[in-house]
Amino acid sequence: MPKATALVSQEGTLLDASCSWLKMFGLASFTKGKGPEIFTLFPENIELKQQLKDNLSFTLEHTIKVNYTTLHLKSHFAPWFDEKENVIGTIVQTDDITSETKKQEELDWLHNILETKMEVSKTGWWEFDLKTEELFWCKETKRIHQVPENYLPNAQEAINFYKVGYSRNKASMLFHRVTNNLQPYDINLLLVTYMGQERWVRITGKPLVKNGKIIKVFGTIKDIHEEVMANTRVREHQQLLSTLVDSLPLNVYVKDLESRKILVNKSECNYLGKKPIDLIGKTDFDLFEKEYAQISREEDLQVMKNLTPIIGKETKSVLNGKVTHHLTSKIPYFDLDGKVCGLIGMSMDITHMKKKEEQLRSLNAIAVMQNQKLISFAHIVSHNLRSHSANFSMLLGFLDAEKDPTERLRLIKMLRQASDNLLETLANLNQVVDVNSNTLVIKKPVHLRHAVVKILQEQSALLEHNHAQVTNHVPEQLQINCVPAYLDSILLNLVSNAVKYKSPDRKLQITINALKSQKGIELSISDNGLGIDLNKYGNKIFGMYKTFHNREDAKGFGLYLVKNQIEAMGGSITVQSEVDKGTTFNVSFNEES
Amino acid sequence: MKKVSCIFIVDDDPITVFGIKKMLKSVAECDDIQIFQNGHEAHEALKERSKTGGTIPEVIFLDINMPIMDGWEFLDELIQLEIKEQIVINMITSSIDPLDHKKWADFKDRCPYPLNFKNKPIFKIEANELGCMGIAS
Repeated sequence: MPKATALVSQEGTLLDASCSWLKMFGLASFTKGKGPEIFTLFPENIELKQQLKDNLSFTLEHTIKVNYTTLHLKSHFAPWFDEKENVIGTIVQTDDITSETKKQEELDWLHNILETKMEVSKTGWWEFDLKTEELFWCKETKRIHQVPENYLPNAQEAINFYKVGYSRNKASMLFHRVTNNLQPYDINLLLVTYMGQERWVRITGKPLVKNGKIIKVFGTIKDIHEEVMANTRVREHQQLLSTLVDSLPLNVYVKDLESRKILVNKSECNYLGKKPIDLIGKTDFDLFEKEYAQISREEDLQVMKNLTPIIGKETKSVLNGKVTHHLTSKIPYFDLDGKVCGLIGMSMDITHMKKKEEQLRSLNAIAVMQNQKLISFAHIVSHNLRSHSANFSMLLGFLDAEKDPTERLRLIKMLRQASDNLLETLANLNQVVDVNSNTLVIKKPVHLRHAVVKILQEQSALLEHNHAQVTNHVPEQLQINCVPAYLDSILLNLVSNAVKYKSPDRKLQITINALKSQKGIELSISDNGLGIDLNKYGNKIFGMYKTFHNREDAKGFGLYLVKNQIEAMGGSITVQSEVDKGTTFNVSFNEES
Repeated sequence: MKKVSCIFIVDDDPITVFGIKKMLKSVAECDDIQIFQNGHEAHEALKERSKTGGTIPEVIFLDINMPIMDGWEFLDELIQLEIKEQIVINMITSSIDPLDHKKWADFKDRCPYPLNFKNKPIFKIEANELGCMGIAS
């Protein structure tokens, strides 16, 4: 196909043109010599007139509007010579390059998009030609490296941009592998820019293979420094928070609106004896007894509904049958929009403190009781000793004034009596002191039935003399943890008490029972004797030197001693009685040592 | 020497009883001195005498700490007997418990008879303890 051609005179008048040329410019055929001025066809090129005068070849790209469409044209201007090499005009050859131009524009546009995309995503690309060993960096790649735009990189320099140590070794190794083993890569490494800044980048590389042979390596580089740093900060915060929450000596948990646990710390897991995975999603109803779970749920609802925290509330719960006490705080938990989405709970286990408090309280009660006992004992001592010393004073006063030798002898006899009484009282008091001062009484297991049998044998003469009928119901296998000497004294006193206060109208019957209960071992000794009016004497029966029957051998000391001995072993004694029916003493032994 | 028709000594301590009797010998003349080991016995005797029109004791020596019925309980019972005759009651005790002293002060207000409080040891029985002042006033 011949090119669209036109001939132009030296003055610039169109002399002749091919049909295609005319069509291109939207011109009808014209009479020879009467063509239009060429310059009117190139309105964009104001210098054309001058250029034509120079008689040199040149090319112009220009547009023309024909029938409302714009054509992109490319015209070549060349001098037109006659046979004698004289310039007689210009030959114009024109190509329609509209489609090429469009393609170029499209390409430019795509290129622009790519450039923008790379800039925005901070991703650059690079290419390494294995044959020429040339490395190409795109604009963005250069920007990431902070090198000037005219910088020409090579492979070794590119690798040296990575931080000495792990990053550089890795970059070098990966580049080696992709070129030798065709192994693509994608990794985050630390880059030191041309300006000396350390920045995290994500780099990829993959081989471009042609006919089974690698010809190029293509890769990308993305600046991810801000992301990595933000991520690191987030992880540092998380680490700080989780370390803090886990190491707090508190049970910490977060619950959602349904009171399901969505976070638990180590203390909470240890307390519940479960792993976090077994606790997440669980409610208190899954973990505690219903009664306590319900209380907890009501607290949760209160906090989430009223948005007011509960701070330092003493709570009680039962876990696996064990009672635990906590100091619990619950605070509403808000999401990022400020809407309540659950609660944060913290509880401090104060079970051991509670236990200590109870121990302290019971110790205090013991101390108070001991103190009262001491005071009452001091009164007893002062009263008893005083009455004896008063007698001495009185008798000595008489003796001083008495002349009659018979009377004097009588007074001396009475003084001796008073002295004996004093000694006996002192012996009694000593016994009581002994019992009460041996705070570390050593308890031993004793076969109760054998102990009872032994006392009954020792007292057999007394029992037979009084025609007593004794029934021993103590079970064969019952072991009792007590001070053996005290047990003997208790049994002896209670049995002889029953004999002492038997009814003259009935044959004496004594029944001894024992049973093991939750509280310990209960021993009871019942008789059908005189009985005591407990309304009248109930509070005095175990008092010292209190007697209630007119009996010569009643000294009012036995029961007092028994009570002291039982209490020294941590037990207790009670009495039931009805006048002229009988009396039952119940002894509770404390099995703890 | 004052003549007294009847005296009750209520005390479980034989030495004290002996002492009181001995001291009485030098200050009073009495043919009817009764000894009781506790309040219960004395109360029974007094009840019997009051019922049968027997001699009501003019003077009672009363111990506080006694078995079965102590001195305070005896006083309660005695007040209830509503005996018209004058009885001088001397409480004799080795107790220095302030509670006992307070109790005595309470009884003194509601007891229709003169009520004396004497701490052991005693060496002498005063005239007012035999009712001399009581009768005069």
